[in-house]
Amino acid sequence: MSGKADHSRRNFLYVAAGGLGAVAAGATAIPFIGSMLPAADTLAAAKTEFDISTVVEGQLVVIQWQGKPVFVVNRTAEMLERVKGHDDKLKDPNSEAVEGVQAEWMDTDEKRLYRAIKPEILIVVASCTHLGCIPLFKPTAGQKDWGDSVPSDWVGGWHCPCHGSFYDLSARVMNGSPAPQNLHVMKYEYKTDTIVVIG
Amino acid sequence: MIDKMMNTRLFHWVDERTDLGAIIKSQLTEYPVPKNLNYMWNFGSLALLVLVLQILTGIFLVMYYKPSAELTYGGYTVAFDSVERIMRDINFGWLIRYMHAVGASAFFVVVYMHIGRGLYYGSYKSPRELLWIIGVVILLIMQGAAFFGYLLPWGQMSFWGATVITNLFGALPVLGEYLQQVLRGGFAVGDPTLNRFFSLHYLFPLLLAAIVGGHIHALHVVHSNNPDGIDIDHEKDTIPFHPYYTVKDAMGVGFFLLGYCYFVFFQPEAWGYFIEVDNFVPANNLQTPAHIAPVWYLTPWYTILRTFEDKLMGVVAMGASLGILFVLPFLDRSKVRSARYRPVYRQMVILFFISVVVLGYCGHSAPTETLAMVGTIATSVYFGFFLLLPFVHKFEKTKPLPGGE
Amino acid sequence: MRGITMKTTRFSLIACLMLMLAPAMASASGGVAVKHTDITFDNETLRAGLQVFTDVCMGCHSAKYITYRNLMAYPEIGISREEADELRGDKALMSGLITELSPEDGAESYGKVPPDLSLIARARRGGANYTYSILTGYVEDPDGKVEDGNYNTYYPGGRIAMPDPLAWMGHDAEETADLEEQARSVASFLAFIGDPHQLERKRIGRWVMGFLVLLTLVLWMLKREVWKDVKKH
Repeated sequence: MSGKADHSRRNFLYVAAGGLGAVAAGATAIPFIGSMLPAADTLAAAKTEFDISTVVEGQLVVIQWQGKPVFVVNRTAEMLERVKGHDDKLKDPNSEAVEGVQAEWMDTDEKRLYRAIKPEILIVVASCTHLGCIPLFKPTAGQKDWGDSVPSDWVGGWHCPCHGSFYDLSARVMNGSPAPQNLHVMKYEYKTDTIVVIG
Repeated sequence: MIDKMMNTRLFHWVDERTDLGAIIKSQLTEYPVPKNLNYMWNFGSLALLVLVLQILTGIFLVMYYKPSAELTYGGYTVAFDSVERIMRDINFGWLIRYMHAVGASAFFVVVYMHIGRGLYYGSYKSPRELLWIIGVVILLIMQGAAFFGYLLPWGQMSFWGATVITNLFGALPVLGEYLQQVLRGGFAVGDPTLNRFFSLHYLFPLLLAAIVGGHIHALHVVHSNNPDGIDIDHEKDTIPFHPYYTVKDAMGVGFFLLGYCYFVFFQPEAWGYFIEVDNFVPANNLQTPAHIAPVWYLTPWYTILRTFEDKLMGVVAMGASLGILFVLPFLDRSKVRSARYRPVYRQMVILFFISVVVLGYCGHSAPTETLAMVGTIATSVYFGFFLLLPFVHKFEKTKPLPGGE
Repeated sequence: MRGITMKTTRFSLIACLMLMLAPAMASASGGVAVKHTDITFDNETLRAGLQVFTDVCMGCHSAKYITYRNLMAYPEIGISREEADELRGDKALMSGLITELSPEDGAESYGKVPPDLSLIARARRGGANYTYSILTGYVEDPDGKVEDGNYNTYYPGGRIAMPDPLAWMGHDAEETADLEEQARSVASFLAFIGDPHQLERKRIGRWVMGFLVLLTLVLWMLKREVWKDVKKH
């Protein structure tokens, strides 16, 4: 006769089996999902070294980092002047919005203004913070070189062709742009005076 | 427990729209199964488990595997490099690869046991002939899938195994050359072969999934055989599949996983049986390895092939050894199913099992004169089993069946 | 009972066959049983083996599936960034261990291209012990036909294209232990790089087996418990 005692043993065993089975299923899922995370060699390619002495004054180069495009701009003194004085036109002049637009070393006004460790060399992710297109470099002020694509009081910077976002020469996003944030600054440091390690 | 689930409102909502309750009842909780099944009946559910494991591990491997025979440094290829990348750089890639390689062999172990059960207990006899035939189709597709899959790492064994087997097709009259070119995609095994074998290796297990569905459906119509091979009284001698056989199958899975995981974690190469030593050497179309043999689960048929000196005869014999399985239900005329009650058949079928093992051993070893002779004898026993079958019922004195039938 | 007889017959046959095959698997193809040494994966052995590999073997052989970064990242080897920079010279950190000897030059000098060694321990019957045997197996050709340094007891057929890399032939008794240790450590190194996750695999495996024993036990108890209903009738 199956009394209550038998069924409690049975139920315990069902629960134990079910519990262990769930643990087994979970443990099995780990390697499969884990395998989809970036592989060891992909992660090792996480850092890129670049020699900034190859960038001429006033020049922009686009390099690759983790498969993403990165702007390296050698800003002239004149360009550095043109990042000043239009804070009211910027959504986030001090790069306070999200982690990606700030950096640990942005702790002085100057650093927040130029958004670079060495003020002349700006290094930012070349991905518009709206939907990811690569913005076009339009460094000179005014509409002479760029026509209607830029506003009449254009101070120089970037213009995204996809949906029209504008950034100044420190890659800070301007009011009226669909993009929410300044172009992101990734972790980088200078290994020597001319070699920067990105990532 | 299932009853509690079936009483919830969510279940009722689904049930009203899919009849899920009726399905659960007819296939699980009220599906009758003989209560005297022994552990040989566990292998069907194990086979399904391994199929699922192979598809799961296969899908994740395909996220990183590259089917290209383009040469890379050191005589390797893009394909071989991608497998090594899986083994070294992909998180847990080594584990998924080993699960897949061990799983392939486990699949055949389980299926051979499952077939052995069918042979011994007469599960192929009326009314289960079609169930058996669908099973033979499954076996053939499994062998195809395994053959296609083995080329993918593009090691020495991969390449030369594929070369030898595609050469076989060339032996067939009229269509042979054409078939060989269609299989290879060129004059020799090469990149086109690799790409199409990759496609077919992906396809076949998915075909299997569908055909296994048909296999289970056919079973559920005629219901399971039992070790005594007798038609049983539904009322007295059956029990519902759930919970009895669900827990028994679950226990079987536990034991299976013990063996499977032992190999995956501690002996994935299985001393060269699961992953062959020569396959760690990149494929070289100008040098054949000293010793070519197919993977262990294909060796019995390889021996049958080599028994005949004439290439065409060998191919025909190999084909016949598989083809004859289809007509087995119609060869055996005995009214008694289970070998338990058939003293002559019992000896024949045990001899048959032995012959398959011996054929396998011969196929794996380097050919010598003695082994060739042993192989010929074993081939004769293999075919003898089938050829003798139609006559056995005439002289076999079967033992009295239980239940006074 | 009858079922058990059939199963026993089959299983015992399979067991017999496996036992018969075991000795064949243990020896190198070609007949001479390999010498056995203690293949270990402790850090000292692996670093010594890496040293032998880069000093001696890389003169002709590559190991393209091992990168300098791997040598840093695998905890069993774990060289420092400085050591890696020293080893790699101006090659990228991510590049494999590639020899300076081009395949064409190798084929010309030795008759065949020196094979990549990343997987050599898995690609030869006898594994790491075979590698050890080869490195310490150079002898004079008994028939006198093959040049010294190109005849090896353990190589199938005896005539090996690789000339005595550790200068085993003609060494004196004092040097034996040192050369044997070099051979042992490089064989261990090669065994490791052939399957770098093997220690992790076995570690995880022990947990998995332990868990499965527990799970199977519970499932077995559950089965017996549930089937009590059936046995009663």
